[in-house]
Amino acid sequence: MIMDNLQSLRYFYPELTLIVAMLLVVIADISFKRLRSVLNPLLTIVSLLLAAYFTAYINHSQEANLFLGMLALDSFAQFFKLFLLLAAFLVVLGSLQSEELSQVHQGEFFALLLAVTLGMLLMANSINLAILYLSLELVSLTSYIMVGYLKGDRLSNEASLKYILFGAISTGSMLYGFSLIYGMTGSLNLYTIRDAFLSQGVQGFDQFTTLLALVLALAGFGFKTALVPFHFWCPDVYAGAPTPVTAFLSVAPKAAGFGILVRFFFSGMTQTTGSEWGLVNGINWPLVLIGISVLTMTLGNVAALTQNNLKRMLAYSSIAQAGYILMGSVVLTGEGLKSMLIYLFVYLFMNLGAFLVVTIIYNSDKSFEIGDYNGMFKRSPFLAFAMGVFMLSLTGIPPFAGFLGKLYVFLAVIEKGLIWFAVVGTLNAALAAFYYMRVIKAMVLEEGNGNVAPLQVSFLNQALLVALLIPNLLLVFFWNPIDRWTASSARLFGGL
Amino acid sequence: MSASDIIFLIVAVVTVGSAAIVVLSRSLIYSAFSLLFTFFGVAIIYVYLGADFLAGTQVLIYVGGILVLLLFGVMLTHRLYSLNLRTETFQVIPGFLIALAVFISLALVSTRTNWHVVADKPLVPTTDTIGTLFLTEYLLPFEIASILLLVALIGAAMLVRRRADI
Amino acid sequence: MGVLTRKNAVNVLMGIELILNSANINLVAFSRYSSNGIDGQMFAIIVIVVAASEVAVALAMVLTMYRLLRTVNLDQADTLKR
Repeated sequence: MIMDNLQSLRYFYPELTLIVAMLLVVIADISFKRLRSVLNPLLTIVSLLLAAYFTAYINHSQEANLFLGMLALDSFAQFFKLFLLLAAFLVVLGSLQSEELSQVHQGEFFALLLAVTLGMLLMANSINLAILYLSLELVSLTSYIMVGYLKGDRLSNEASLKYILFGAISTGSMLYGFSLIYGMTGSLNLYTIRDAFLSQGVQGFDQFTTLLALVLALAGFGFKTALVPFHFWCPDVYAGAPTPVTAFLSVAPKAAGFGILVRFFFSGMTQTTGSEWGLVNGINWPLVLIGISVLTMTLGNVAALTQNNLKRMLAYSSIAQAGYILMGSVVLTGEGLKSMLIYLFVYLFMNLGAFLVVTIIYNSDKSFEIGDYNGMFKRSPFLAFAMGVFMLSLTGIPPFAGFLGKLYVFLAVIEKGLIWFAVVGTLNAALAAFYYMRVIKAMVLEEGNGNVAPLQVSFLNQALLVALLIPNLLLVFFWNPIDRWTASSARLFGGL
Repeated sequence: MSASDIIFLIVAVVTVGSAAIVVLSRSLIYSAFSLLFTFFGVAIIYVYLGADFLAGTQVLIYVGGILVLLLFGVMLTHRLYSLNLRTETFQVIPGFLIALAVFISLALVSTRTNWHVVADKPLVPTTDTIGTLFLTEYLLPFEIASILLLVALIGAAMLVRRRADI
Repeated sequence: MGVLTRKNAVNVLMGIELILNSANINLVAFSRYSSNGIDGQMFAIIVIVVAASEVAVALAMVLTMYRLLRTVNLDQADTLKR
């Protein structure tokens, strides 16, 4: 059912909370000169928790369109909202003691973080091209600023500039694709677009136009999720940005990008018939997606092998992980979709954990080079252990959470008969093990460079690390609840 | 061809021509000024398409805002004594080939596709409708756009201010 | 092509503006000939707003770069590659 503006407001509480909090942070930043270093983070954290509470509390099981057809309200939306709020929450906690950020004025950082979270909440649930473009740009613009936050730092600025130029080109192309779709269907609403494509059928030359339009749209989505060949900005931006920002970028906008990719292609371009999807236009989507997925995985893993800068390595690693996630979308079934959601969920904890360790080490050693990670085991066994868990989880080794993600994705693919695809994925995971293990090896086996002072990890960071470790270690045993939760979220797209 | 068709043709040629100059010119100032003509051309095209409010907005914001900003950018980032504002181009051949491919595909697209065609509508002033739509159907984009502007404001101000404590 | 071949950051920005404008023309034209109602025009207005914000932020970044490096030549922004 389509709700009008006033009715929709009641379902909009999470986003409203974020908006109010953002405004409050801006005001607090200029009013309370002494309290603001405490007030800003506090406001941010409280508002994120409140928004998460509202999201859980609002009944998402009805399928409705808000604001006269702009946003969708369903369990798929609920999953992403909770995911994104959780990601923002963890990143805020992780950023509180970052050396990089403590040198610059932080008030705006929290306001920007709230704004980008708001943008992502909207982005993952858009069903109208106008609000989709707007929220995507809101996320992008805010990320540009956050990446370039360290004004005095050359790297940060350069990263941000590359990000801006590349991003503007990608989203501009995406916009052009949207305009072509509008021309072909006469509507900006995803459902109407799908119906228009289905009813009039697409033959002959129109196929080329549709393909072009969708490739252009994919440019925008691929940019946000760093899929090949739209990934060029990723290593530089990840390396130059302040580490908490990098951590955030590697999980949150990526997830939101996947959310909108799924919605756009699955709601707008395919139809549900039973438990499988028919293809609109007869364009062989799975083939395209398979190709991109394989390229992304392989390129990410191969490039990561030669990196010595840990942030760049993790950048390529997250590119590869995006390839694995995309595998789930290829099969066009509810199972595949569910596997994507599960992978995203475990990926959140793995990646944030790894970046948190990087932040902590940078705080004391001021370095991101893997050579400086040598002998970390002697200096802080806890840190080395944590990093070991995160690395193993990213590789996908049981019994860590990463294994769960990979398992589901590979199973979904095998079920559909694409066994060779799963084999490619497994080979890639084996390849990836090389560079993940390199980090562990450096920390545990190599001799330190002479800096033998034990590394003190602050209490907050310790607590945070534990909080991130627990899901990595234990999620495997809770696979059933997770399975059911993501299944209900994926049910929207049919067939579970 | 009627007079209005001829004028449209002229405007279209001017617009595309200026865009070409923006892209190909060796001098940054020439690029900036031909961008001006491009924007104006686009505004006139909007009028032809019955989008009167949009044409006015285009002139106001693009010419009056964005172009001025770009000119500031050009002026502030060059040493003033060297007014020879030349820029180099590199890798022209691959760029040109890609552009050619894009152009050909777009030309094919525009002429061969079955666009969704609707009966011709009379040209009416649109300001009224736009205003109403922004407060009903497009309310959410309207509000979010204001947040976007706020964020851009915060970001740009934060990036450019001097070190002094706030 | 303006985006692929230029070295000066402001020049690239101009190219980006051209891309956005071209998409906008599409939107408005289709709004007149392909749809009932003026959705295309609404979308175009939104795009103009986004473009203005993007230029503002991009130029702020360019100015920061100029402050740090005294140039806006993109070839010289290569510290990250090393």
